[in-house]
Amino acid sequence: MRVAICEDSTLFREGLARLLTEAGFAVAASVEHADELLAHVAKDPPDVAVLDIRLPPTHTDEGLRAAVTLRERHPQVGVLVLSQYVRVSYAVELLGGRTEGVGYLLKDRVSDLAEFAAAIRRVGSGGSALDPVVVEQLVGRHRQPGDPLRMLTERERAVLRLMAEGRTNMAIAELLVIAERTVEKHCTSIFVKLGLEASPHDHRRVLAVLRYLNA
Amino acid sequence: MATRSRGTTALLAVAAGGVWLLVVNALGASPGAIWRHGPIFVLGALAGVSFLAGGIVAWREHPRNQVGPLMAVLGVAWIPQQVLFFPGQQLWALALCGLWAGMACHLFLAFPTGRLDLVSYKVVTGLAYVLALVLPTAKALMRFPMPVPLRNFTDALDASSWQLTVLMSGMVLALKVKRWRQASMAQRRAVAPVTGASMVATVAFAVDRLAELFGPNPLQVPITLVMLVSFMAVPMAYLVGLMRSRMDHGRVADLVVRLSRRERRGTLRDELAATLRDPGLVVGYWTAEQDRYVDADGRPVDLNPGPSRVVTRVDQGEAPLAVLVHDVALLEQPLLVEAACAAAALALENERLTADLRARLRQLAASRRRMLQWGEAERRRFERDLHDGVQQRLLSVAMTLGLAEAGTDPGRAAPLIGEAKTAVLAALDDLRAVSHGIHPPVLTERGLSGAVKELAAVAPMAVTCDLALDEPLPQAVESAAYYIVNEALANVTKHAAASKAWVRLALVGRRLLVEVGDDGVGGADPALGSGLAGLADRAEANGGKLTIDSPPGKGTVLKVVLPCA
Repeated sequence: MRVAICEDSTLFREGLARLLTEAGFAVAASVEHADELLAHVAKDPPDVAVLDIRLPPTHTDEGLRAAVTLRERHPQVGVLVLSQYVRVSYAVELLGGRTEGVGYLLKDRVSDLAEFAAAIRRVGSGGSALDPVVVEQLVGRHRQPGDPLRMLTERERAVLRLMAEGRTNMAIAELLVIAERTVEKHCTSIFVKLGLEASPHDHRRVLAVLRYLNA
Repeated sequence: MATRSRGTTALLAVAAGGVWLLVVNALGASPGAIWRHGPIFVLGALAGVSFLAGGIVAWREHPRNQVGPLMAVLGVAWIPQQVLFFPGQQLWALALCGLWAGMACHLFLAFPTGRLDLVSYKVVTGLAYVLALVLPTAKALMRFPMPVPLRNFTDALDASSWQLTVLMSGMVLALKVKRWRQASMAQRRAVAPVTGASMVATVAFAVDRLAELFGPNPLQVPITLVMLVSFMAVPMAYLVGLMRSRMDHGRVADLVVRLSRRERRGTLRDELAATLRDPGLVVGYWTAEQDRYVDADGRPVDLNPGPSRVVTRVDQGEAPLAVLVHDVALLEQPLLVEAACAAAALALENERLTADLRARLRQLAASRRRMLQWGEAERRRFERDLHDGVQQRLLSVAMTLGLAEAGTDPGRAAPLIGEAKTAVLAALDDLRAVSHGIHPPVLTERGLSGAVKELAAVAPMAVTCDLALDEPLPQAVESAAYYIVNEALANVTKHAAASKAWVRLALVGRRLLVEVGDDGVGGADPALGSGLAGLADRAEANGGKLTIDSPPGKGTVLKVVLPCA
């Protein structure tokens, strides 16, 4: 899988390149400016573009805007945004109603190489990877009495969170150490309780869950 | 105030007095040498002339008030009685000699309005006129031979003359006392001289009549003299009252002069207090910024001062300028208050600006102090967070890695490194929290609109955003607005029990309007919670102003206007 990196901190950029190479990815480009990344992707599209939010010249939201542009111009290229902070509003903006081939993670996640590599592969193959912190914030909004989310069991909520992070049933089963069939049952129950119409087996279920959480 | 020449008035009064004396002399039985008739004649003449002259002055000063004409006519009506002081009593004078007493009753009851305001006044005055004509006429008729029944009637009337006179005096006195008791302090001050003199005169009149009952006695002359003096005092007292109100207005003129020459003896409040004769006067100046009245030092003025004091607004056109918190008595002299305020308007406006400034400084100093304390506390907290969190964690990382490095057992290296990694991640978490506290990163990355959208996105209720900001704002303003929205939405979450909320940011001129509303329970009061007070402080520290509209059950709208210049 070919990955393009855009990151202004040399230390993190080179470290990330080393890490990805170590994990078996091919680093197609390693640049500092969002413009360079956009140019490179246009010329030689990688499977995944990994980029920081704060990039030169203003070090504000260049990365986020570039990511949105990339997703519009190159839907086939997976986009993974890494940042020191994660924000719900950024996630909403980044996704733009489409959960295919997109990821938004804290930079801290690079410390777990296996998990991080899995997230990149997911994004590269049309899946999604949303940081647990964002998911937690979204879930945290539904704390008012009477919210359907409060009708979920503890286990169902755990499944919901992992689903929102973009994980497959198999991955959820592994993480929670339960059978995949059980995960499926939980998913069905969650969808019924929340009144979601999309099938829990549909690949668009992440979007349905996120839309519900963000409503 | 009189617009007519005072010289003419004095001339008219003197001339009338002269004519009056001439007429009396001409009508008298033995003309000339009026001085020979003793002090009673002289005092009587002075009383009559006083009424006539005083009436003319009063008439010219207040042409629409009947008190002047009444006094003047009383002076004329005095003539028959005065004529009787001459030896040899004429019949016509004898018949008309009581008329003045009826008129006096009329005057006393009509003072100060010139009208007989109550039915009781009208009845008593009517009775007085009847008695004043009937009793002396009866006495005059007694000189002539009459049929027995008529004689018996006139005798009886004459015999009961003193009772009737005393009764009349008592009624007039009673009505005057009642009116006095119902009058306010200021009304009393205005009418005191005339009312006092007329009451004394009424009593003296009754006593004089009673003295006659005892036949010739040594007290009769002194009593009559006292009565005459007290009657003479009535027009005099009226003139004193006139002069007093002149002096009141004179003080306003003095105020104008002193203010224009900047010869201030004290503050404007002191000047107004002296002019209005109200030592406890409070002057409040309008501050648009704070939406209330403050004193010269910028402290808020109490507009509910209690029963004896009232509040009078002084406006400049439509705009509020000041308030006077003054003695309720001054309500009776609205013209004086108005004149004083008009005279002081320019100075009031100056003083208002100063007071406004002082109030702002006071408020700013207080909010700055609180913000500094808050900032100081925050810095201490950050220092402690860094010390207890990040530094300790990094220390432990160094130690753990040291252990792994020096490790003799290669199998222990991997767990130790894993431990170090966990500690580093925790340190990163700590750092994130601290830097968020120092300055919200989202504000750096996305500006105010993006930051507010993030606040809306994580709020537990639905938050609609109307963020019409197309130009970048000063960073301090963005920061303040962000914290205000943050705190306001936190308040909505904690207290409002709202199902939805909205945030509006708009530039109005060079001011940023921050509005946070909800559909919750309302009833928010800055005095009750420190959260709202903190918001007000943050607004004020940035030169802005916070207003809260929170009727119980109807949601809350919090508005902050922040200057962007």
